[in-house]
Amino acid sequence: MIEIDVSTERGIAVVVPRGRLNMVAAKRLREALAEVVAGGTHRIVVDLGETTFLDSSGLGALVSGLKAARQAGGDLRVARPTPEVLAVFQLTNIDKVLRPRPDVASAFDV
Amino acid sequence: MSEPTGSTGSTGSARTAGRVVAHLELPADPEALDTAHDALDAAWAEHPEIGAGERIRFVTALMEILGNVVEHAYAADASAAERRLTVEVVGDGDGGLRGRIEDNGQPAALDLSDVVMPDADAESGRGLALAVAALDDLSYIRVGSRNVWTLRCERRP
Repeated sequence: MIEIDVSTERGIAVVVPRGRLNMVAAKRLREALAEVVAGGTHRIVVDLGETTFLDSSGLGALVSGLKAARQAGGDLRVARPTPEVLAVFQLTNIDKVLRPRPDVASAFDV
Repeated sequence: MSEPTGSTGSTGSARTAGRVVAHLELPADPEALDTAHDALDAAWAEHPEIGAGERIRFVTALMEILGNVVEHAYAADASAAERRLTVEVVGDGDGGLRGRIEDNGQPAALDLSDVVMPDADAESGRGLALAVAALDDLSYIRVGSRNVWTLRCERRP
């Protein structure tokens, strides 16, 4: 099962999915990201450092959040991907639009 | 919770071809994904010959196929009790993995040679393309009243 923590500091929401982002969990991530954007925070960092698995539906949820954030004038960035997550980013070529950042704190610096 | 039947791990100690990593018989429902994932996570410790890269690519593909089966193989009115799938994962003795997923759902209308990775802004449709990209070979055949998916993941240097 997955836990999704959301916290906001200085206008940036940090979303931390802990566990497996699979078909069952992706729906919850999609909802969590939509809620953040609807709540008025348009800059989001998804901290993938504790995401032990990512599948195509989890990736779809990230892309959905990315599009919502950009439509609102912000952005969604991903940080600290585990080897499991990075493999999926590379196999799907999504790393072109979701470039993994080495840490959460500097994800919006550049 | 749906408990798997069958067994995980292996009784043999020697590195032999066709060493069983997991054999599971499960209800074909979304919980099967976590159940199979848990069983495999528990089994890897017994298979140090399988490297992290192969394990990650294989599990990524296996979960996509399992997800496809539980979401698409059954008619909406198929009774939950009759939806069954089996998962077998075998080490090839050379650091690679073979998998076989069987279900008793409806035939799948698909051609794996047609599968392409969607554009970066797509929110769905990557599942089979991801499985194909992760593996060295993926095949689907209909055998009698069952769908059979076979997965092959070679060790990469």
